[in-house]
Amino acid sequence: MKFSDEMLMAYADGELDLVARAEIEAAMARDPKIAEAVERHRALAARLQSAYGGVLEEPVPERLASLVAGPGAAPVVELDSIRAVREARAKLASSRLPQWAAMAASVAIGLFVGLLLMRGPALPYEETATGLVARGELDAALTQQLAGSLGTGRARVGITFRDRGGAYCRTFYLGREAPLAGLACRSGDQWKLEVLAATSAREGELQPAAAMPMAVLHAVDAAIEGEPLDAAGESAARDAGWWKTPHMAE
Amino acid sequence: MSTPTPADEVREALGELLPRLRRFARVITRNVPDADDLVQIAVEKALARAAQWRPGSRLDSWMFGIMKNAWIDEVRARRRRERVHAPEEAGAQVGDASAESRDIALSVQAAMARLPEEQRMAIALVLVEGLSYKDAAETLSVPIGTLTSRLARGREALQRLLGDDRSAR
Repeated sequence: MKFSDEMLMAYADGELDLVARAEIEAAMARDPKIAEAVERHRALAARLQSAYGGVLEEPVPERLASLVAGPGAAPVVELDSIRAVREARAKLASSRLPQWAAMAASVAIGLFVGLLLMRGPALPYEETATGLVARGELDAALTQQLAGSLGTGRARVGITFRDRGGAYCRTFYLGREAPLAGLACRSGDQWKLEVLAATSAREGELQPAAAMPMAVLHAVDAAIEGEPLDAAGESAARDAGWWKTPHMAE
Repeated sequence: MSTPTPADEVREALGELLPRLRRFARVITRNVPDADDLVQIAVEKALARAAQWRPGSRLDSWMFGIMKNAWIDEVRARRRRERVHAPEEAGAQVGDASAESRDIALSVQAAMARLPEEQRMAIALVLVEGLSYKDAAETLSVPIGTLTSRLARGREALQRLLGDDRSAR
Protein backbone atom coordinates (compact mmCIF):
# COMPACT_ATOMS: atom_id res chain seq x y z
CA MET A 1 0.00 0.00 0.00
CA LYS A 2 1.19 3.49 -0.85
CA PHE A 3 0.93 6.32 1.62
CA SER A 4 0.97 10.01 0.83
CA ASP A 5 3.60 12.15 2.48
CA GLU A 6 0.82 14.03 4.27
CA MET A 7 -0.35 10.77 5.75
CA LEU A 8 3.14 9.94 6.96
CA MET A 9 3.43 13.42 8.38
CA ALA A 10 0.16 12.99 10.25
CA TYR A 11 1.44 9.69 11.58
CA ALA A 12 4.66 11.29 12.81
CA ASP A 13 2.60 14.01 14.49
CA GLY A 14 0.40 11.46 16.26
CA GLU A 15 -2.72 12.52 14.40
CA LEU A 16 -3.88 9.18 13.01
CA ASP A 17 -6.38 6.79 14.48
CA LEU A 18 -5.50 3.30 15.62
CA VAL A 19 -6.28 1.54 12.35
CA ALA A 20 -4.31 3.93 10.15
CA ARG A 21 -1.47 3.82 12.63
CA ALA A 22 -1.30 0.05 12.46
CA GLU A 23 -1.31 0.12 8.66
CA ILE A 24 1.56 2.56 8.55
CA GLU A 25 3.55 0.69 11.14
CA ALA A 26 3.16 -2.48 9.12
CA ALA A 27 4.28 -0.61 6.01
CA MET A 28 7.26 0.86 7.87
CA ALA A 29 8.34 -2.63 8.87
CA ARG A 30 8.13 -3.78 5.25
CA ASP A 31 9.57 -0.75 3.52
CA PRO A 32 12.60 1.07 4.95
CA LYS A 33 11.85 4.06 2.70
CA ILE A 34 8.58 4.64 4.47
CA ALA A 35 10.29 4.29 7.83
CA GLU A 36 12.87 6.80 6.69
CA ALA A 37 10.27 9.30 5.58
CA VAL A 38 8.54 9.08 8.95
CA GLU A 39 11.85 9.47 10.71
CA ARG A 40 12.60 12.58 8.66
CA HIS A 41 9.33 14.16 9.80
CA ARG A 42 10.09 13.34 13.39
CA ALA A 43 13.64 14.61 13.17
CA LEU A 44 12.46 17.92 11.77
CA ALA A 45 9.98 18.31 14.62
CA ALA A 46 12.74 17.56 17.13
CA ARG A 47 15.02 20.10 15.51
CA LEU A 48 12.38 22.78 15.63
CA GLN A 49 11.72 21.97 19.26
CA SER A 50 15.35 22.33 20.19
CA ALA A 51 15.86 25.42 18.05
CA TYR A 52 13.14 27.32 19.86
CA GLY A 53 13.35 25.58 23.21
CA GLY A 54 15.87 28.15 24.45
CA VAL A 55 13.21 30.84 24.52
CA LEU A 56 11.41 28.98 27.30
CA GLU A 57 14.50 29.22 29.49
CA GLU A 58 14.96 32.95 29.04
CA PRO A 59 13.83 35.16 31.89
CA VAL A 60 10.54 36.84 31.04
CA PRO A 61 11.07 40.61 30.68
CA GLU A 62 9.65 42.65 33.53
CA ARG A 63 7.31 44.62 31.29
CA LEU A 64 5.56 41.39 30.31
CA ALA A 65 5.56 39.81 33.76
CA SER A 66 4.03 42.93 35.30
CA LEU A 67 1.08 42.72 32.90
CA VAL A 68 -0.14 39.54 34.51
CA ALA A 69 0.93 40.24 38.08
CA GLY A 70 -1.86 39.65 40.56
CA PRO A 71 -4.03 42.13 42.44
CA GLY A 72 -2.08 44.99 43.90
CA ALA A 73 -0.02 45.46 40.79
CA ALA A 74 -0.56 48.59 38.78
CA PRO A 75 -3.53 48.09 36.50
CA VAL A 76 -3.17 48.44 32.79
CA VAL A 77 -4.53 51.84 32.03
CA GLU A 78 -5.38 52.89 28.55
CA LEU A 79 -6.03 56.39 27.34
CA ASP A 80 -9.66 55.67 26.58
CA SER A 81 -10.30 54.70 30.15
CA ILE A 82 -8.69 57.83 31.50
CA ARG A 83 -10.91 59.91 29.29
CA ALA A 84 -13.97 57.96 30.35
CA VAL A 85 -13.12 58.48 34.00
CA ARG A 86 -12.78 62.19 33.43
CA GLU A 87 -16.16 62.29 31.74
CA ALA A 88 -17.78 60.23 34.45
CA ARG A 89 -16.38 62.58 37.07
CA ALA A 90 -17.59 65.66 35.26
CA LYS A 91 -21.01 64.11 34.92
CA LEU A 92 -21.15 63.32 38.61
CA ALA A 93 -20.07 66.79 39.59
CA SER A 94 -22.82 68.35 37.54
CA SER A 95 -25.54 65.89 38.51
CA ARG A 96 -27.95 66.27 41.36
CA LEU A 97 -26.51 63.38 43.28
CA PRO A 98 -26.20 63.92 46.99
CA GLN A 99 -22.78 64.64 48.32
CA TRP A 100 -22.21 61.16 49.67
CA ALA A 101 -22.61 59.70 46.25
CA ALA A 102 -20.20 62.11 44.71
CA MET A 103 -17.71 61.37 47.45
CA ALA A 104 -18.05 57.65 47.26
CA ALA A 105 -18.06 57.92 43.52
CA SER A 106 -14.82 59.80 43.44
CA VAL A 107 -13.34 56.76 45.10
CA ALA A 108 -15.27 54.03 43.39
CA ILE A 109 -16.49 55.25 40.06
CA GLY A 110 -13.40 57.30 39.46
CA LEU A 111 -11.32 54.20 39.67
CA PHE A 112 -13.45 51.73 37.89
CA VAL A 113 -16.14 53.09 35.67
CA GLY A 114 -13.66 54.26 33.11
CA LEU A 115 -12.52 50.73 32.57
CA LEU A 116 -16.04 49.41 32.61
CA LEU A 117 -17.49 51.82 30.14
CA MET A 118 -15.22 50.65 27.38
CA ARG A 119 -16.14 47.02 27.57
CA GLY A 120 -18.66 46.86 24.81
CA PRO A 121 -22.34 46.23 24.42
CA ALA A 122 -22.96 43.23 26.67
CA LEU A 123 -22.79 45.21 29.89
CA PRO A 124 -25.67 44.94 32.32
CA TYR A 125 -25.79 48.71 32.59
CA GLU A 126 -25.78 51.62 30.27
CA GLU A 127 -24.64 55.17 30.37
CA THR A 128 -27.54 57.56 29.90
CA ALA A 129 -27.85 61.31 30.09
CA THR A 130 -28.61 61.04 33.81
CA GLY A 131 -25.91 58.55 34.67
CA LEU A 132 -25.49 54.80 34.72
CA VAL A 133 -28.68 52.78 34.57
CA ALA A 134 -29.08 49.04 35.17
CA ARG A 135 -29.90 46.94 32.14
CA GLY A 136 -30.41 43.30 31.33
CA GLU A 137 -29.72 40.79 34.05
CA LEU A 138 -28.83 43.43 36.61
CA ASP A 139 -32.06 45.31 35.98
CA ALA A 140 -34.01 42.06 36.19
CA ALA A 141 -32.36 41.02 39.44
CA LEU A 142 -32.88 44.41 41.07
CA THR A 143 -36.51 44.42 40.03
CA GLN A 144 -37.40 40.82 40.83
CA GLN A 145 -34.92 39.20 43.16
CA LEU A 146 -35.58 39.07 46.88
CA ALA A 147 -32.60 39.08 49.21
CA GLY A 148 -31.49 35.62 50.16
CA SER A 149 -33.03 34.00 47.11
CA LEU A 150 -30.58 32.25 44.90
CA GLY A 151 -31.06 33.58 41.44
CA THR A 152 -29.61 31.73 38.50
CA GLY A 153 -27.86 34.74 36.98
CA ARG A 154 -24.69 36.49 37.98
CA ALA A 155 -26.43 39.33 39.80
CA ARG A 156 -27.26 39.04 43.51
CA VAL A 157 -29.20 41.53 45.54
CA GLY A 158 -28.00 42.38 49.04
CA ILE A 159 -29.95 44.73 51.26
CA THR A 160 -32.88 46.94 50.38
CA PHE A 161 -33.73 50.24 52.04
CA ARG A 162 -35.33 53.58 51.39
CA ASP A 163 -33.29 56.72 51.04
CA ARG A 164 -34.22 60.11 52.47
CA GLY A 165 -36.37 60.94 49.52
CA GLY A 166 -38.29 57.67 49.94
CA ALA A 167 -36.80 55.97 46.88
CA TYR A 168 -35.92 52.31 47.15
CA CYS A 169 -32.28 51.45 46.99
CA ARG A 170 -30.69 48.03 46.79
CA THR A 171 -27.12 46.88 47.03
CA PHE A 172 -26.01 44.32 44.51
CA TYR A 173 -23.17 42.09 43.57
CA LEU A 174 -22.36 41.22 40.01
CA GLY A 175 -20.27 38.10 39.51
CA ARG A 176 -18.54 38.79 36.26
CA GLU A 177 -14.95 38.50 35.10
CA ALA A 178 -14.18 41.48 37.28
CA PRO A 179 -16.71 41.22 40.11
CA LEU A 180 -18.55 44.39 40.96
CA ALA A 181 -20.64 45.55 43.83
CA GLY A 182 -22.74 48.64 43.99
CA LEU A 183 -25.77 50.52 45.06
CA ALA A 184 -28.74 51.14 42.80
CA CYS A 185 -31.66 53.41 43.58
CA ARG A 186 -35.00 53.43 41.87
CA SER A 187 -35.53 56.47 39.71
CA GLY A 188 -38.76 56.47 37.74
CA ASP A 189 -38.92 53.05 36.14
CA GLN A 190 -35.19 52.45 36.14
CA TRP A 191 -32.46 51.53 38.57
CA LYS A 192 -29.85 54.21 38.70
CA LEU A 193 -26.40 53.05 39.69
CA GLU A 194 -25.22 55.39 42.40
CA VAL A 195 -22.02 53.61 43.25
CA LEU A 196 -20.15 50.92 41.46
CA ALA A 197 -16.97 49.42 42.82
CA ALA A 198 -14.75 46.50 42.05
CA THR A 199 -14.80 43.86 44.73
CA SER A 200 -12.72 40.87 45.54
CA ALA A 201 -15.73 39.02 46.96
CA ARG A 202 -16.59 35.85 45.11
CA GLU A 203 -19.93 34.41 44.45
CA GLY A 204 -21.01 32.19 47.28
CA GLU A 205 -19.20 34.03 50.02
CA LEU A 206 -21.35 37.10 49.77
CA GLN A 207 -22.75 38.01 53.16
CA PRO A 208 -25.46 40.64 53.16
CA ALA A 209 -23.08 43.46 53.92
CA ALA A 210 -19.71 42.06 54.85
CA ALA A 211 -18.51 41.50 51.32
CA MET A 212 -19.46 44.96 50.13
CA PRO A 213 -16.60 47.31 49.32
CA MET A 214 -16.18 50.27 51.66
CA ALA A 215 -17.35 52.71 49.04
CA VAL A 216 -20.68 50.93 48.83
CA LEU A 217 -21.07 50.63 52.60
CA HIS A 218 -20.37 54.33 53.04
CA ALA A 219 -22.90 55.14 50.37
CA VAL A 220 -25.50 53.01 52.13
CA ASP A 221 -24.76 54.60 55.51
CA ALA A 222 -25.09 58.03 54.06
CA ALA A 223 -28.28 57.39 52.14
CA ILE A 224 -30.27 55.07 54.35
CA GLU A 225 -33.26 56.36 56.25
CA GLY A 226 -34.28 54.03 59.06
CA GLU A 227 -33.53 50.34 58.84
CA PRO A 228 -33.12 48.05 55.86
CA LEU A 229 -36.34 46.42 54.78
CA ASP A 230 -37.17 43.02 56.14
CA ALA A 231 -38.30 40.20 53.88
CA ALA A 232 -41.95 41.15 54.08
CA GLY A 233 -41.25 44.82 53.40
CA GLU A 234 -39.04 43.89 50.52
CA SER A 235 -41.54 41.67 48.83
CA ALA A 236 -44.32 44.23 49.38
CA ALA A 237 -42.16 46.91 47.77
CA ARG A 238 -41.43 44.65 44.86
CA ASP A 239 -45.08 43.83 44.33
CA ALA A 240 -45.85 47.52 44.39
CA GLY A 241 -43.37 48.08 41.57
CA TRP A 242 -40.81 49.88 43.72
CA TRP A 243 -42.70 53.13 43.62
CA LYS A 244 -41.50 55.81 45.95
CA THR A 245 -43.22 55.95 49.31
CA PRO A 246 -42.13 59.13 51.09
CA HIS A 247 -41.49 58.77 54.81
CA MET A 248 -42.97 62.08 55.63
CA ALA A 249 -45.88 62.84 53.39
CA GLU A 250 -46.48 66.54 53.55
CA MET B 1 -11.66 28.84 49.89
CA SER B 2 -13.09 30.99 47.17
CA THR B 3 -13.09 30.19 43.51
CA PRO B 4 -11.18 32.64 41.35
CA THR B 5 -13.04 34.70 38.79
CA PRO B 6 -12.46 34.10 35.08
CA ALA B 7 -10.34 37.25 34.91
CA ASP B 8 -8.14 36.04 37.75
CA GLU B 9 -7.89 32.63 36.15
CA VAL B 10 -6.89 34.12 32.82
CA ARG B 11 -4.38 36.39 34.48
CA GLU B 12 -2.80 33.60 36.45
CA ALA B 13 -2.73 31.16 33.57
CA LEU B 14 -1.23 33.82 31.33
CA GLY B 15 1.62 34.21 33.77
CA GLU B 16 2.47 30.56 33.31
CA LEU B 17 2.00 30.77 29.57
CA LEU B 18 4.30 33.74 29.04
CA PRO B 19 7.38 31.71 28.08
CA ARG B 20 5.38 29.84 25.44
CA LEU B 21 3.76 33.02 24.18
CA ARG B 22 7.21 34.51 23.78
CA ARG B 23 8.37 31.45 21.91
CA PHE B 24 5.42 31.50 19.54
CA ALA B 25 5.93 35.23 19.01
CA ARG B 26 9.59 34.62 18.28
CA VAL B 27 8.72 32.10 15.60
CA ILE B 28 6.20 34.28 13.85
CA THR B 29 7.86 37.70 14.17
CA ARG B 30 11.39 36.37 13.66
CA ASN B 31 13.05 38.84 16.00
CA VAL B 32 13.19 39.53 19.71
CA PRO B 33 11.87 43.09 20.11
CA ASP B 34 8.89 42.53 17.81
CA ALA B 35 8.16 39.27 19.56
CA ASP B 36 7.93 40.82 23.00
CA ASP B 37 5.89 43.73 21.67
CA LEU B 38 3.49 41.23 20.18
CA VAL B 39 3.22 39.33 23.46
CA GLN B 40 2.47 42.57 25.29
CA ILE B 41 -0.21 43.60 22.82
CA ALA B 42 -1.82 40.15 22.93
CA VAL B 43 -1.79 39.96 26.73
CA GLU B 44 -3.40 43.39 27.00
CA LYS B 45 -6.07 42.37 24.54
CA ALA B 46 -6.67 39.09 26.33
CA LEU B 47 -7.06 40.74 29.73
CA ALA B 48 -9.48 43.26 28.28
CA ARG B 49 -11.62 40.47 26.84
CA ALA B 50 -11.12 37.82 29.51
CA ALA B 51 -14.89 37.35 29.50
CA GLN B 52 -14.74 35.94 25.99
CA TRP B 53 -12.54 33.09 27.02
CA ARG B 54 -14.61 29.97 27.71
CA PRO B 55 -13.36 28.37 30.91
CA GLY B 56 -12.30 24.83 30.19
CA SER B 57 -11.21 25.62 26.67
CA ARG B 58 -7.56 25.90 25.80
CA LEU B 59 -6.11 29.21 26.82
CA ASP B 60 -2.98 28.68 24.76
CA SER B 61 -4.86 28.27 21.45
CA TRP B 62 -6.98 31.27 22.32
CA MET B 63 -3.88 33.36 22.96
CA PHE B 64 -2.15 32.14 19.82
CA GLY B 65 -5.20 33.19 17.83
CA ILE B 66 -5.12 36.67 19.37
CA MET B 67 -1.41 36.88 18.62
CA LYS B 68 -1.88 35.73 15.05
CA ASN B 69 -4.49 38.41 14.39
CA ALA B 70 -2.47 41.09 16.13
CA TRP B 71 0.56 40.17 14.07
CA ILE B 72 -1.33 40.20 10.80
CA ASP B 73 -2.62 43.67 11.67
CA GLU B 74 0.89 44.76 12.53
CA VAL B 75 2.40 43.41 9.33
CA ARG B 76 -0.30 45.10 7.29
CA ALA B 77 0.37 48.36 9.05
CA ARG B 78 4.06 48.00 8.35
CA ARG B 79 3.51 47.26 4.71
CA ARG B 80 1.41 50.37 4.51
CA ARG B 81 4.27 52.31 5.99
CA GLU B 82 6.62 50.51 3.59
CA ARG B 83 8.92 49.61 6.36
CA VAL B 84 9.21 45.88 6.01
CA HIS B 85 12.63 44.93 7.16
CA ALA B 86 14.57 41.81 6.48
CA PRO B 87 14.68 39.19 9.23
CA GLU B 88 18.43 39.43 9.70
CA GLU B 89 18.05 39.52 13.47
CA ALA B 90 16.42 36.12 13.48
CA GLY B 91 17.56 33.96 16.31
CA ALA B 92 20.02 36.47 17.72
CA GLN B 93 19.29 35.07 21.18
CA VAL B 94 19.01 31.40 21.76
CA GLY B 95 19.33 31.08 25.48
CA ASP B 96 22.08 29.03 27.05
CA ALA B 97 22.91 26.75 24.20
CA SER B 98 26.32 25.39 23.39
CA ALA B 99 28.03 26.82 20.32
CA GLU B 100 27.17 23.77 18.30
CA SER B 101 23.51 23.67 19.13
CA ARG B 102 23.36 27.43 18.59
CA ASP B 103 24.57 26.90 15.04
CA ILE B 104 21.85 24.39 14.47
CA ALA B 105 19.32 26.69 16.06
CA LEU B 106 20.36 29.57 13.85
CA SER B 107 20.07 27.56 10.73
CA VAL B 108 16.66 26.24 11.69
CA GLN B 109 15.46 29.71 12.59
CA ALA B 110 16.94 31.18 9.43
CA ALA B 111 15.16 28.54 7.40
CA MET B 112 11.91 29.20 9.24
CA ALA B 113 12.30 32.90 8.56
CA ARG B 114 12.16 32.21 4.84
CA LEU B 115 8.85 30.42 4.93
CA PRO B 116 5.68 32.20 3.97
CA GLU B 117 3.87 33.43 7.05
CA GLU B 118 1.00 30.95 6.72
CA GLN B 119 3.32 27.98 6.70
CA ARG B 120 5.43 29.39 9.50
CA MET B 121 2.37 29.79 11.69
CA ALA B 122 1.16 26.27 10.98
CA ILE B 123 4.57 24.86 11.86
CA ALA B 124 4.88 27.03 14.94
CA LEU B 125 1.55 25.81 16.29
CA VAL B 126 1.90 22.11 15.54
CA LEU B 127 5.61 21.35 15.64
CA VAL B 128 6.84 23.93 18.13
CA GLU B 129 3.83 24.42 20.39
CA GLY B 130 2.50 20.90 20.03
CA LEU B 131 -1.11 21.72 19.19
CA SER B 132 -3.23 19.10 17.48
CA TYR B 133 -4.16 19.72 13.85
CA LYS B 134 -7.69 20.46 14.96
CA ASP B 135 -6.67 23.04 17.58
CA ALA B 136 -4.17 24.61 15.22
CA ALA B 137 -6.76 24.87 12.43
CA GLU B 138 -9.21 26.51 14.84
CA THR B 139 -6.55 28.90 16.07
CA LEU B 140 -5.80 29.99 12.52
CA SER B 141 -9.50 29.94 11.54
CA VAL B 142 -8.89 27.66 8.58
CA PRO B 143 -10.27 24.23 7.65
CA ILE B 144 -8.18 21.33 8.80
CA GLY B 145 -7.28 20.42 5.20
CA THR B 146 -5.79 23.87 4.71
CA LEU B 147 -3.81 23.49 7.89
CA THR B 148 -2.38 20.11 6.88
CA SER B 149 -1.42 21.30 3.43
CA ARG B 150 0.33 24.38 4.85
CA LEU B 151 2.08 22.14 7.29
CA ALA B 152 3.17 19.71 4.59
CA ARG B 153 4.43 22.43 2.27
CA GLY B 154 6.22 24.20 5.10
CA ARG B 155 7.93 21.01 6.16
CA GLU B 156 8.98 20.23 2.64
CA ALA B 157 10.50 23.67 2.25
CA LEU B 158 12.27 23.42 5.59
CA GLN B 159 13.73 20.06 4.77
CA ARG B 160 14.96 21.45 1.49
CA LEU B 161 16.46 24.53 3.15
CA LEU B 162 18.11 22.56 5.93
CA GLY B 163 19.29 19.72 3.76
CA ASP B 164 18.31 16.17 4.56
CA ASP B 165 21.89 15.21 5.34
CA ARG B 166 21.80 17.42 8.45
CA SER B 167 18.94 15.67 10.12
CA ALA B 168 19.50 15.85 13.85
CA ARG B 169 19.39 12.85 16.14
